[in-house]
Order: sequence, then structure tokens, then C-alpha cells
Amino acid sequence: VRLWRCRCPALLSRPAGALRASRGLAAGPEMHFGFQTVTEEERREKIYQVFESVAKKYDVMNDSMTLGIHRVWKDILMHKMNPCPGTLLLDVAGGTGDIAFRFINYVRSVRQRQLQRKLKHNQNLSWQEIFESYQKDKFNSLGDSQVVVCDINREMLKVGKQKAQHLGYSEGLSWVLGNAEELPFDDDKFDVYTIAFGIRNVTRIDLALQEAYRVLKPGGRFLCLEFSHVSNPILSRLYDLYSFQVIPVLGEVIAGDWKSYQYLVESIRRFPPQEELKAMIEDAGFFKVHYENLNFGIVAIHSGFKL
Amino acid sequence: QPPEPSLLRFLVCPLSKRPLRYEEATNELINEELGIAYPIIDGIPNMVPEAARRTHKKPPAEGAEQP
Repeated sequence: VRLWRCRCPALLSRPAGALRASRGLAAGPEMHFGFQTVTEEERREKIYQVFESVAKKYDVMNDSMTLGIHRVWKDILMHKMNPCPGTLLLDVAGGTGDIAFRFINYVRSVRQRQLQRKLKHNQNLSWQEIFESYQKDKFNSLGDSQVVVCDINREMLKVGKQKAQHLGYSEGLSWVLGNAEELPFDDDKFDVYTIAFGIRNVTRIDLALQEAYRVLKPGGRFLCLEFSHVSNPILSRLYDLYSFQVIPVLGEVIAGDWKSYQYLVESIRRFPPQEELKAMIEDAGFFKVHYENLNFGIVAIHSGFKL
Repeated sequence: QPPEPSLLRFLVCPLSKRPLRYEEATNELINEELGIAYPIIDGIPNMVPEAARRTHKKPPAEGAEQP
């Protein structure tokens, strides 16, 4: 019997109901995989296979499906985070590295500005002193910032690592294969925890949120970027049409994989709406939990603090 | 490929949350208490319990059992 199955009942103090099971909470015997009903075990495996299959085409598909807008969503997330140099970020389900690379770019440019300001204030330095200050700070272009990318899928991490090499990211970046529900990190370690378009695929969202809380330092911030619910009925109808008619076709044409993208669309519909996710985040112990809708709720950023 | 040294600061056993020892010879992260070892593949530590092997069983078993 797997250990995590043994531990689950101990962690559960709440009764398992069908609704809770479908919301990624208590380990009821039945769970959803898109619109199908499966066991918890099957769900994990199917999701693993989905990402194993799409890994190489993941970025291309994101661009096609969202017409490149996913880049803007991720940029907005980074601006909301507004990390300063020295920040320790844990990016969960970060597979292909989109958030990690943005983080590195962001702190690098903040650091640049810091150094420039410092230099501006030291107008009476000799050339020798200026030269030395460049030497000193050259090896600290990130200001000790670090990002750890954690994902459960080996293929996604492989793609991410290759991208990093290709784009020249090496400093302050590391990769770990791990489970969001059972993180291999010690308590109170990270300044920020992000999960972008990943929490939807976690089987036990409540455990993932508890783990997020555990590994964050006091004062640390939880940020979740995920597809959410569109309340406007007209937009909702258009969004449904696009999702169910266009996306799986794109999946087949571009990635040769209709089923994975069918799963994607269905999983978005099954995922809890904004208020419900907010409540789940609060249940995990986070304070000042807010969410911000992007594009009328197609996507939402949830934020909370460990206080 | 060995892991990033900075990463070793953060990693603990996902089951017990206790510290790990890096074993250079086998390129594994070892939890002495539970007697399990997590492999490092292509420089990426594989920190899921399913991937760990028991240290008193010599060869890395396929589908290692849980402690």
C-alpha cells in the first residue's frame, strides 16, 4: 500500500462527499478527469500522461490556443509579485520554466537599476574604484535571488531545462522533480510560491495548498494563476464555443493530440470558480486572500499571505 | 550529473521532511533514518516517494516499495 494513501486518512478530518471529491478535496473513491469519472490513482496517471504527451509542444500550443495572450497573463503575474533581488521563489508545476525565466529577468533588471543608482551617487569615484565596483557586482547580477522549479512530470522538466540552456539561464535556477501535494522542501523556506496553470491538474488541491503554506516563510506570498470562470453569459457562450470547437482541433493539428486538449478544456470547466478557490486558500491558513480577474475571468490570479 | 549545490540546501525527504545526505558515488540523496535513496537523473533530483529505493536492497529496484 502506498504511503501517501496511508497518510491521507490521517490527514483527513473532514467527511468525504461527492462534491468535495470533485473539487479536489477529500479522497473520495471517485474523481473527475475532465468530464470523466475516475479513481484518484487513474486521475494522477492520466494527467501525467497528458503532460508527457504534450511536453514538447506545450509552448507552441499555449501560443496558439491563447493567441499569445498567456504571455501577458504571466507578465502580469510577475508584475504583481514585484520581486526584489534576494527573493527566493518556488515555482510549482513550473515545468517549462515560463515563470522562472520571467522572475530571473525581472530581478536582474531591478538589480541593474539598483547598481546604476548606486553608481550615480558615487560621482567622485576614480576609474579604479568604478572598475572594482563592477567586478564586485558582476558576480551578483541577480542579487542572490533564486528560483526552484518543481514539477511532477519529467518530460516537462526536460523541456524546461533545455529551454534554459538555449536561452542562457543558469544562475539562480534549479530543477526538482516533486509532487505539489508532498513537497521535498523544509518548512518556512521560500519568500514566494507560485503555481501557474498547474493547480488545476493537482488531484488533492487542499494538500497542495497546505504544502504551499508550510514551505513559505512567515510573511511569504502565495500566488496562483489559473483558468477560472466567466460570469458574463454572452462572453461565457463565446468562450465555450472557442474552447470546445477550436482548441481540441488545434491540439490535433499542432500536437497530434486531440484528447489531451479535450482534457484541458474539460478540466477548466471542472475547476472551482474564483470565490471557491479563495475559500480553499483561506482554509489552508492564508490571510488577505484576494483574486484579480483577467480577461473577464477567463484567467484569475489568486494571492494570499502566510502571516 | 551532480545536482546544484544551492539546491541541496533546500531539499528534504518529501515523506519525513528530514534532511538528506548527498551520496556522490551513486548520485543519490539518502534519508538515513528511513533507509531510502532518491535518484538524481540528468541533474534533476527525483523527489517522489515512488522513485526512491531502499538502501539496504542493493540494486535499484523497478517500482520500489514504500517504507
